[in-house]
Amino acid sequence: MRRALRRLGSSLFVVWAVVTLAFAVNNLVPGDPARMVAGVQARPADVDRIRVQLGLDRPPLVQYALFWKRLSHADLGRSYQLGQPVVDLIAAKLPNTFALALAGIVLQLLFGLTTGVLAAWRRGGWLDRALVGTSLLGVSAPTFLIALMLQYVLAYRLRWLPLDGYGRTTLEHARCLVLPALTLGIYGAAYYTRLVRDEMAVMLAQDWIRTARAKGLGPARILVRHALRNGLVPVVTSVGLDFGALMGGAIVTEQVFRWPGIGKLAVDGMHDRDGPVILACVVVSAMFIVVSNLLADAVQVRLDPRTRGSS
Amino acid sequence: MRSIRTRSELLAAGLAGVAAAILAVPLGCSVGLRAPEPAASADDAPPRRGGTLHLASVFNVTSLDPAGLTQGLSMQALILLFDGLVDIDGEGHVVPNLAERWEISDDARTVRFTLHAGVQMHDGAELTADDVKRSVERALHPSTPGSNASYYEGILGYAAYAAGKAPHLEGVVVEGRYVVTFHLTQPDPAFLSLMALPIMRPVCASAGDRYASGWQPCGAGSFKLEPGGWQRGTSLRVVRHGGYFRPGLPYLDAVEWTFGMFPVPQRFRFEDRDLDMLMGPTQADVGRFMADARWKSLGVKLFANSTWGEAMNTRIPPFDNVEIRRAVAAAIDREHYAVLKPSQMSPLTQLLPPGVPGYDPSFQGQVHDEAAALEHMRKAGYPYDPATGRGGWPAPIPYTVTDVTTGAFTAQMLQQELARIGLRIELRLVSYSAFLAITSRAGGSAMHPAGQQADYADPSAFFEPTFTTAAISPEGSNNVAFYSNPVYDDVVGRARHELNPDLRRALYHTASEILRDEAPWAFTYGQHDFVMRQPYVRGFTANPVWPFDVRQVWLDRADTAMPAALPGGFR
Repeated sequence: MRRALRRLGSSLFVVWAVVTLAFAVNNLVPGDPARMVAGVQARPADVDRIRVQLGLDRPPLVQYALFWKRLSHADLGRSYQLGQPVVDLIAAKLPNTFALALAGIVLQLLFGLTTGVLAAWRRGGWLDRALVGTSLLGVSAPTFLIALMLQYVLAYRLRWLPLDGYGRTTLEHARCLVLPALTLGIYGAAYYTRLVRDEMAVMLAQDWIRTARAKGLGPARILVRHALRNGLVPVVTSVGLDFGALMGGAIVTEQVFRWPGIGKLAVDGMHDRDGPVILACVVVSAMFIVVSNLLADAVQVRLDPRTRGSS
Repeated sequence: MRSIRTRSELLAAGLAGVAAAILAVPLGCSVGLRAPEPAASADDAPPRRGGTLHLASVFNVTSLDPAGLTQGLSMQALILLFDGLVDIDGEGHVVPNLAERWEISDDARTVRFTLHAGVQMHDGAELTADDVKRSVERALHPSTPGSNASYYEGILGYAAYAAGKAPHLEGVVVEGRYVVTFHLTQPDPAFLSLMALPIMRPVCASAGDRYASGWQPCGAGSFKLEPGGWQRGTSLRVVRHGGYFRPGLPYLDAVEWTFGMFPVPQRFRFEDRDLDMLMGPTQADVGRFMADARWKSLGVKLFANSTWGEAMNTRIPPFDNVEIRRAVAAAIDREHYAVLKPSQMSPLTQLLPPGVPGYDPSFQGQVHDEAAALEHMRKAGYPYDPATGRGGWPAPIPYTVTDVTTGAFTAQMLQQELARIGLRIELRLVSYSAFLAITSRAGGSAMHPAGQQADYADPSAFFEPTFTTAAISPEGSNNVAFYSNPVYDDVVGRARHELNPDLRRALYHTASEILRDEAPWAFTYGQHDFVMRQPYVRGFTANPVWPFDVRQVWLDRADTAMPAALPGGFR
């Protein structure tokens, strides 16, 4: 219990530190949010009026204190550019990002675990080389390239799926989700393929695997029940980190597919120096990374009780 | 040894795969364009009513309140939803709109507008002079976020009203149900152009006396917004205003935008006819369409309504030396710039772009002349010998640029052109917001790309904010060359209030000569937008001020309704 509280405390500290850093950086780098709101050709008198309206004429420390005061009431302020409460913006986009992150992680694991296990099983053979070579391609190709290729082939040429967008009905949402999720799946699967293959290779060389073989266990049982289960520990850690990062917004993928998630909001916020939006995205992202790491730790302990005292 | 070879093989395989993948997209995309959909009727067929025009953009609408912040695509939507007392026609002239006429007093300090009787707003109410006064006061109130309020400082009582010291704007007077008069502190030939801007357009009574976010947009425009028609950040659908005051218009049933769509998916959808027009295609796609005989005639190059140039900070060496500035202006070959994006850039040698009233195509502006540039370098005291590479300005000159504009490309060209006369510029790439902050700060940047867009259809929109002393401020300066010349200020100041068109034109001509000779900017190009349309999209015409105006568009498809009735009247 004490360890859990300590972990929770350190997590909250991380969130506070990240948000404070974001606030400081946002105030220190050159740029005038009021001018970004007013437009490049706005006259100084209009920019000054807008600065006062946004509360940007106050000292940074006062703005910082007001930010935490509002946050304590679950109020993240209003977007400078859109004039809407940021909580509403986040609430509208968070479920979409969650759906994309979840679908992306599931596909990454589905592809990555399958190919990783197969590569480890046929280590050194042509299948191993083919799978690891393909995974190198996946790791090397930027997400926008994967996205454009999928769009071109599956949407533009074959017309199986929508090019982009979000749709209006649940079925349309699901159809629109396929290509961005597949993009993330292909991109991330490459990493998991290599991770699982290497972990499995180490596991398959262990004495207890040799013992299991000697006892007459079949290769499938050895691979899945013994080697894979033990090889999953670092995978779970990675999934925790990746899922948290994706919840911060799969920025490129969301942009290319016009998937209305946190990523696009964050990019627009950064481009426009929209302080409340930037800070809200940082808060959400940091919280999800912390929470998914805590969950990953819990699963890790479940998979390997020996790690109970080490986390 | 074996493992090393395997890794090499894998690396080679991976790199080959990536190369193949990178090539696959452009090669795949270059497979022939799909055929356009022909129009249903002959070229001289009368307009037909009906149909929805589908558009998309990578940009977004930030506000649909004319008093709010109107960035991105907002302007395009606002001109559909809200009509003004006056409008700007295809040649940049101010024309009557909701006001059937106006009278200007002899001293040019009073402008009296008479509204059309019976103009129905989206809520069914009739537009009156009271609505005009309420809308103007709402838009110019100090609590309103709009960024153009100070353009109207010439209205009598503006200062007190903007400072919150007066409850009403003294200079806007209702003189009857359909008559509203604007009193100005000084004669202002640009005032009518300013009255065409969305910020001054009447809004329904539901907007109230003060700006508040969340208001359902409602005005007297040809289209209206129905509840749920605006999905913020995603899409916007406006439908025909059945009670529009010009009978028979608009032709379209609706206009639909999809936001945040990248140019390549836009092109895919355009070919598939999911989009009827393609706004801002990539230069590669423009080349593809123009090389295809079926599409070539369907590209529309819009007016150049913005001017770009290389701004030189006249307070920072070496650009405090006018001869160095002249050398830069003479060293630049504007044709080279235009080669970068021919569909969007046209060489420009003066401040006013062709789309703005007052542009004089016969004006002899800054010209490319390398020998003259070298002579200016000599006069500046920094002679340069191109044969030996000796001489020139001794230190590299920092050039601030951002990678989200064309400036990142033109900067490299500038670097080469200036090297030929002994000026070495060093590129400093920064974010867009940092770029704005640095370049508008006194002493912030020696040199950088700069642009000015036509906010309203008048030369003053260019000459005043870019180069007058009054436009200089220590931070957030509009005059980013920090150029100050009392003669120029005097000429531009007199031009602003000169009512005689010929005299006014002559004053701006003089101002243009000063800028050419003093070269606070080396003017480089005017920027256009480029649009592709399907053949069945008819009636689209370019407007010099409204970037993308589809109010006269009609769809000539087999399933479009019967020809629209076009009674005379307001048309």
